[in-house]
Amino acid sequence: MMIPVRCFTCGNVIAEHWEEFKSRAREGDEDPGKVLDELGVERHCCRRMMVSHKDLVDVVSPYQ
Amino acid sequence: MELRVIEKTDEELRIEIAGEDHTFMNVLKGALLETEGVAAATYDVNPEQSGGQTDPILSVKTEAGVDPLDAVAEGARSIQAMTDSFRDAFTAA
Amino acid sequence: MAHDFDVEFIERGDRKARFLVRGLTPAIANGIRRAMIADVPTLSIDSVRFVENSSVMFDEMIALRLGLVPLTTSLDDFEEGDEVTLALDVEGPATAYSGDMVSSVEYVQPADENIPIIELKEGQHLEFEADAVLDSGKSHAKHQGGVAVGYRHLQKVEVVGDTPEFDDGEPNILRGVIETEDGELIHTDEFGNDLTQQFPGKEVEVSDVPGAFVFHVETDGSFTVEELVLRAVESLGLRAAELEEKVSV
Repeated sequence: MMIPVRCFTCGNVIAEHWEEFKSRAREGDEDPGKVLDELGVERHCCRRMMVSHKDLVDVVSPYQ
Repeated sequence: MELRVIEKTDEELRIEIAGEDHTFMNVLKGALLETEGVAAATYDVNPEQSGGQTDPILSVKTEAGVDPLDAVAEGARSIQAMTDSFRDAFTAA
Repeated sequence: MAHDFDVEFIERGDRKARFLVRGLTPAIANGIRRAMIADVPTLSIDSVRFVENSSVMFDEMIALRLGLVPLTTSLDDFEEGDEVTLALDVEGPATAYSGDMVSSVEYVQPADENIPIIELKEGQHLEFEADAVLDSGKSHAKHQGGVAVGYRHLQKVEVVGDTPEFDDGEPNILRGVIETEDGELIHTDEFGNDLTQQFPGKEVEVSDVPGAFVFHVETDGSFTVEELVLRAVESLGLRAAELEEKVSV
């Protein structure tokens, strides 16, 4: 639904970087790997949180 | 930290240290083994889920003429000296 | 027993640091590591009173997200169990961010301000009051100040000769911090974790340095790495003092 606040594995706060990642790597055409490096999301446990996430608020909001 | 003596003789001590875990007990055991007059020191903890006795039990055996309670106090003192010197070394760096 | 410690920073930041400590025993190193994770308390939201929540998420889901937001914690001013109230009032269409929360205490603020709590659509409204409580990582992982706290032995790398002429050129992978023969400390990341890059054409031998531990410490932003380490060590000292006092009676 929303990006998890922290990495499931290590507990690092990742939500902080989500919107920048989304605008640069998802909506923009930058290389996701490079964006994550620049954001300081180093460990692959944290990186997979960002790479594999899908916002679902738009999908469920009509059904409230 | 609640202490409960289970067994005490002139040279042997078994004591329950409630509310502690490996964090402190292992440091304490390490300090006791390097304390003068201590022949043996160990501790035992059961896992949280096991039910029954889950607080750690410290066992200390001392050489003749050394009260094990005094040895534990000495060990605790040396931990404090250690943490003080660690703090100084860390803040100096 | 006298302790002679020597601390050297390899990487130093507010939230992330790597430092070498010489003169430690494994028991003390592990005690400090465990104390950093479970015994240094942080403030974290623990109960939430919702005034209105017409977002797409249930109250409980939002409360869970709020609990995970790190709050700046000055440990001199609080004792375990102390509470701080934060409030938020956002109307859609907008996204409620951690930074939108208003704290009752000026120096207790969300450590990161861009954490999206929930996206609100037209007509949706989120309003609540939340109580943050100071507690340790033992009671709940959200109170852990340290993230990815660990240590490794310092590894000494010695050049023992040249590689044979028809060497197959396989990489020699190593992770952690190495000490060269000149006493230089290098993190293996700097040369791609491959010793054949750092020492080309040389045969090397790697051994652990006894009593030398390289700590890697990150915090969630509640306080600095220094604060975390010093509080962890202090907590061990305080427990030893308590034991000494109780045993001497």
